[in-house]
Amino acid sequence: MAVRDLNAGAVQPAEPTRSAPSFLDGVRRVARSYTARTLVQAVITIWAVITFTFFLIRLMPGNPVDVYIDFLMNQQNISFEEARQMAASQFRFDPDANVFSQYFDYMGRLVQGDLGESITSTGTRVVDQIIRFLPWTVFSVGLGLLISFVLGVLLGTVMAYNRNSVLDNALSLFSSILSAVPNYIWGLLILIVFGVQLQWFSVGALRGTYDPTLDPGFNLPFILSVLEHAFLPVLVYVVGTLGTWMLNMRNSTISTLGEDYVNVARARGLTSSRILVAYVGRNAALPMFTLLAIHIGFILGGSVIIEELFVYKGIGSFLFWSISQRDYTSMQGVFLVITIAVVVSNVLADLLYSRLDPRVRVTGDK
Amino acid sequence: MMKNLRTLILLAVVVALLSALGGVAAQDEPTQFAGGWPYQVPPDGHFNTYASGRLNMGIYQDLMEPPLAVFIWADGAYDPMIAESFGFTDDGNYTVTLKSGVTWSDGTPVTGQDLLTTFNTGYMIGWQIWNDLESVELVDDMTAQFNLSSQSPLIERRILTENLRPTSTYGDFAAQAGELIAAGAASGDEDFEALLAELTEFRPETFVAAGPYQLLSENITDARATLVKNEGGLNSDVVRFDEIVLWNGETETVTPLVSNGELWYGTYGFPPATEAAFVDQGIDIVRGPLYTGPGLYVNHTVYPLNQVEVRQALAYAINREENGFVSLGESGVASECMCGLSDNLLPVWVEDDVIDELNFYDYDPDLAASMLEDLGFTRGDDGVWIDDQGTRMSFELIFPAEFADWAAAAENATAQLNEFGFEITATGVQFQQQQQDVYDSNFEMAIRNWGVGSPFPRDAYLQPYNRYNGQGEVAGEGVGGGMRFDTDVTFSGGEINVFDAAVESGQGTDLAAQQALVTDLVVSFNEVLPAIPLWERYGNNPLNRNFVDGPAGDDPIFLNGGVDHFMTYLILTGGIGPA
Repeated sequence: MAVRDLNAGAVQPAEPTRSAPSFLDGVRRVARSYTARTLVQAVITIWAVITFTFFLIRLMPGNPVDVYIDFLMNQQNISFEEARQMAASQFRFDPDANVFSQYFDYMGRLVQGDLGESITSTGTRVVDQIIRFLPWTVFSVGLGLLISFVLGVLLGTVMAYNRNSVLDNALSLFSSILSAVPNYIWGLLILIVFGVQLQWFSVGALRGTYDPTLDPGFNLPFILSVLEHAFLPVLVYVVGTLGTWMLNMRNSTISTLGEDYVNVARARGLTSSRILVAYVGRNAALPMFTLLAIHIGFILGGSVIIEELFVYKGIGSFLFWSISQRDYTSMQGVFLVITIAVVVSNVLADLLYSRLDPRVRVTGDK
Repeated sequence: MMKNLRTLILLAVVVALLSALGGVAAQDEPTQFAGGWPYQVPPDGHFNTYASGRLNMGIYQDLMEPPLAVFIWADGAYDPMIAESFGFTDDGNYTVTLKSGVTWSDGTPVTGQDLLTTFNTGYMIGWQIWNDLESVELVDDMTAQFNLSSQSPLIERRILTENLRPTSTYGDFAAQAGELIAAGAASGDEDFEALLAELTEFRPETFVAAGPYQLLSENITDARATLVKNEGGLNSDVVRFDEIVLWNGETETVTPLVSNGELWYGTYGFPPATEAAFVDQGIDIVRGPLYTGPGLYVNHTVYPLNQVEVRQALAYAINREENGFVSLGESGVASECMCGLSDNLLPVWVEDDVIDELNFYDYDPDLAASMLEDLGFTRGDDGVWIDDQGTRMSFELIFPAEFADWAAAAENATAQLNEFGFEITATGVQFQQQQQDVYDSNFEMAIRNWGVGSPFPRDAYLQPYNRYNGQGEVAGEGVGGGMRFDTDVTFSGGEINVFDAAVESGQGTDLAAQQALVTDLVVSFNEVLPAIPLWERYGNNPLNRNFVDGPAGDDPIFLNGGVDHFMTYLILTGGIGPA
């Protein structure tokens, strides 16, 4: 049978010419990209936070010069006038300088990667300060977070699988207590009860980040010393966050256990272990990974009191010192690092979630 | 199996050897003193003691950079440290001769050149001695002369209490500073600013010490710094400790260390409850006067607080003993003389018969009430006083929220005054903001310090009459007038400008003239009460005598205050040692 060509004789539309995509097309394509939009938002957020903190810290009572004057008066018992004269000589910071010119000067240097000099320790670069203190916080809080996350996910799953049992009730009570008490209270309790009262460890010997008699490097004694000195802060971070992970994972798992696809999997006769790993575990853990990514961002900011308590010289302890001295440039440097960490971890969480759950990506693209 | 056994035996041998070595080490353990001070580790903390951010060991700095002399407050005289002799010359200048035979930790001898180095470099960072000092010149190898434009015991103190610095470290800066001094260069001049920038950025690699102890980089950790013996240093054969361990941290941080027996002496201000716990543990508490304490300041533009009788009534209406005790336990000692000067300093400067005539403002709320009634004040239906202009006696009292003892003093004073019939609201304000509020006259009533840790009344009186009164270009920098007290005062002794009198009391070498001025200051303060001293703060320093052997708590050396700290003096002179 002959097939009639319905288009016969019709004027064929011209084949569209494939011209090179214009710059605007590129911009549109990037603008439509979920990833690109997220990244741009991140950069804007970082700028906004930097700007906000820049002005906010200058609204705090006092300034570096006033703090130094007080310090000189109290420690050396010199007059206000003499202290002021000395402070003026030793600081390059002028508290009366126009704050907007300070801001533009700071931003100008920042885009060149220059975080400036400490105000209270003239000649000391802020980047050197951060390099000195940051790794210890990343290590201790990161390790604590990792341990509490793994433990919390495991125990939360156990609680959910044994819901309403004695074990579940006991662990729920335990985790509620853990999450209700602030971590610095745990820190104080550990110090006072186990360190001072029971004398299970020497309070002084565990201070600092490692034994100064050892040579820093990749050698066993040094690594053991680092772990030993980080033990108490890590323990507190674990105790302080474990309860939250347990409760979150329990709730998430219970919610997942009630899903239809789990019932279907059971009806199909799949083994419990396969259901646990492939059906329940994966889906229940999904929000936990997002939470984890967000928690990672707060690693740096959440260590201030604990590091002070255990004299563990990380970025939190340094931030505490900088705030007490009103060292604006050092504070800005730390806040910048914290901001970047929080924003980047949120971006990673977004991107991770969009990979793990395609619905997020699709909705985002719309 | 055999291999495992061999490993076990080897391990046992190693453990035995280590134990044996440990035993030997235990016998040779150096004697230590364990104190504490908050310091900042590198890169913030550094060894340039002329720059901000230095590794600051507070009172213990004297153990490395000894002062020329220490003032013994009980005797009213200087005890030479690294200086051999000193004194004013007939032509009004001052000479200092250093002890010979002392060497810096880098092996160079201590000489008179170090005096030039110390003070010429100090010129760069604004040492106030240079307001009265024209130059420092070498007289001989160990002696320097300070060419003064005026003389006073205060200037002498500024010279003698300074810590000696090494020429080997700061000599180049001192030489350049000397040229600038000779040329009359000052802050703002290009050459001066260039050298100042160079000096503040200078980071010596080592700390060169002339005291009996030195601080080596490898002995500084986040947790503690250990000062080790400097064998050629001053009194290195006199001091009784081999090492000084200084734990890093503030009060809250070191508290467990004191309880644990790891920190034996601390200058921190412990809360009374913590102090009581220390006492329960058998730890001694050393209480030396600090020559200062909290006072109740009023804004003299606020009626009726600007009336002398009202301030006197306030003084009568507050039980200062109670106020001191609830604030700081036994270390909060009620102010007796109510004269702006420590009761411990008063007999040194004022005759007994004058002291006897002072009004001690013993707690007497009935007298306070009658004084207010004499002014025409009445009580409202609710018992609150109403002044003669019909206004309720309602005020806000601001205090530094972070200072626990001052906060307690404020709250107790408020409670007492409200019970008496005032309507006062106590408000805790962030401590730096609270101070600024007082500088800016932005307050009605405030808690600030009276007195200061100086043996000279001048410094004590410059607190109310200068620091908190917006004088000239100092306190407040012209943005506010502090408590706005009129310094032209009429009192039983006549008329006096209390600010001028305070300044003059620190000038010249005529002790009798100074004492006369101080007497006027004491009496006038006592009569007009520009501020109301509440109590004097004494230290509550834990001293664990299980580890430290030292003088009893009533030893006069514990009267030493300010930069003449008794503990460093005792260490330097061997007055304290291992138990």
